[in-house]
Amino acid sequence: MGKKGATSEWAQLSTLARRRVLVLLGLILLLAASIFAAIFIGTLGPIGPGDPVRISFAEALRALFQHSGDWVPIFWDVRIPRVLLAALVGAALACAGTAMQAVFRNPLADPYIIGVSSGAAVGAASAGLLGLTAAVATFLPPMFAFVSALLTVFLVYFLGTVRRKVRVDTLLLSGVAVAAFLGAVVSFLIYFAKEQFHQLIFWLLGSLSLASWDVVAVVLPVVVVGALVVFLHGRDLNALLLGEETAHNLGIDPEHLKRLMLGVAALMTAVAVAFTGIIGFVGLIVPHMMRLVLGADHRLLVPASTLFGATFLIWSDAVARTVVAPTVLPVGIITALCGGPFFIYLLRRSGSGGE
Amino acid sequence: MNSVGTKKAGIAVWVVLALVAVSAIAFTSGYYLGKINAEQSVGVTVIDDYGRTIELKGTPARIVSTAPTPTEILFAVGAGDRVVGVDDYSDYPAEVANLTKVGSVELNVEVILSLKPDLIISSDLVPTAQLNQLEQRGIPYVILAARTIDDVFRDLKMVGVITDHILEANDLVAQLQSRVDAIKEKTLADGVSKPKVYLEFYPMWTYGPGSFGDDLMKLAGGTNIAGTTSEEYVPITDEFVIAQNPDVILYTVGSNYNGTTPDTIAARPGWSGISAIADAKVYPIDDNLVSRYGPRIVDALEQLAEIIHPELF
Repeated sequence: MGKKGATSEWAQLSTLARRRVLVLLGLILLLAASIFAAIFIGTLGPIGPGDPVRISFAEALRALFQHSGDWVPIFWDVRIPRVLLAALVGAALACAGTAMQAVFRNPLADPYIIGVSSGAAVGAASAGLLGLTAAVATFLPPMFAFVSALLTVFLVYFLGTVRRKVRVDTLLLSGVAVAAFLGAVVSFLIYFAKEQFHQLIFWLLGSLSLASWDVVAVVLPVVVVGALVVFLHGRDLNALLLGEETAHNLGIDPEHLKRLMLGVAALMTAVAVAFTGIIGFVGLIVPHMMRLVLGADHRLLVPASTLFGATFLIWSDAVARTVVAPTVLPVGIITALCGGPFFIYLLRRSGSGGE
Repeated sequence: MNSVGTKKAGIAVWVVLALVAVSAIAFTSGYYLGKINAEQSVGVTVIDDYGRTIELKGTPARIVSTAPTPTEILFAVGAGDRVVGVDDYSDYPAEVANLTKVGSVELNVEVILSLKPDLIISSDLVPTAQLNQLEQRGIPYVILAARTIDDVFRDLKMVGVITDHILEANDLVAQLQSRVDAIKEKTLADGVSKPKVYLEFYPMWTYGPGSFGDDLMKLAGGTNIAGTTSEEYVPITDEFVIAQNPDVILYTVGSNYNGTTPDTIAARPGWSGISAIADAKVYPIDDNLVSRYGPRIVDALEQLAEIIHPELF
């Protein structure tokens, strides 16, 4: 019995593992194809309105691969960094969202739940009010947003920690309360910074327009390392979902895990938000989409969400750049507009189907 | 041989004279430094309304305007033929309808790069972060952010210098100045009353001190009821307006918001007793005239003056 049982168990495991590998390979290919395709999408084409001039596919390929022709800067300075930043930010938000939903064991948790976005907004608004615009130093407003986001997270974390233990319900409510308070502070600052109003609205709606190789170089290591850390704790997150006591019995220190996940998620989110503003829905909806399709095993869910988050934001931005060209829409509008209905579709389907 | 030599000498003399003339005008204007490069065309260094110093090598031939104000100013000084792209909101003069659009709050960077501009002129409405990125790609930008009519005149002259339309710009400013002076002569004369004016650019929002609207109301011979508040743009309460009891009420119509009429204003709670409403002195004004800091601001001033002081015109 023992031998036979082991073989079938092994076969079953192997099917699961094979499925996991196939899914992840598929998502990696989808991401790679999306990056490649999105580089060809833009106001000037080859895929897009092609106004005032249309770049042909031949010219695009020449600019991309031979680095020659008039369009080299369009591809290498504008579009490629933008597409890469979309991928990195989408990955960061979706990965952080997955981690937050696991830590809070709450489907409404998202990367902003512990005050990253409201904290960053206060930082961005005060930088604007102090006249520290990008005209003074390109990286100064993002620095303000980043530092202010992390300070806010520390505050929420402090409020949500009782006797050196992270109480997720207290943490959640502290996050909501601090976010509401800081939201009011931002509104107040906007009132008195009418001149900076446009800059702030632009930031509050979320936009990838500040993409550059420098920004990509700053965001890339944080997102890659952060996503890897969350990925390597997939098994621990599964255990945490069974309850902190169960996790403890399985040899996991839930306090340490929660602290690590909160820290990594906050860091990834803060660096993304600092450069792109508040892009909504990706961090909330992409993990749910993946969970509905692939199930709740975090060993698969974390990398799948991360990869699909990247793909999702690339396509959202591609739509934002072209749908009403030459006007570029804030990408947050698109993520909510496309993500919301698609998510409801998945939700209804899984609800009515045979779970 | 000799005649060629004299011709060359003649050209050289003209070039020198032109440079001297340019630099003389430049220095008398006092807000930028003329910088002369003998071999090439004249380079200028300007200081824009954000206090930034911008060095331009030669006269820009391809200019992108990213806000309605610089668009109107460029065309007004006769440099419209240099404009190769404008923002989505630019709609004056009518020619701009045919120009390439480059986005608005979020600029379409690839369209701007494809136009190969050598200068961007923008306003304080556009986030500078994106402009900085374009600057890093070698396209300098100049910001116009006027707050008074005198600022507008300075901006007109600055754009004249940048585009080498100095004489046109100076003529235009002289004309506009004489129109402003003609208004001021009437409205600011001794013994002329100073009716209280409420000018709203959006329901319950008005201009405070240091703003454009405040300058216009003062020059038109009115007293801005919000002139002693603390902000440039102020949200206002019913109580405040009722207590101030304005003699004239103006509201904007046009591209921004069109829901206001004298009836909707009279219907606001407690407003029926306000003098302006009792005397039916509630008037619309084109919001593009009062919100764009270009030459048409003088049209706005004339309209305001006639509305506030019909007895003088």
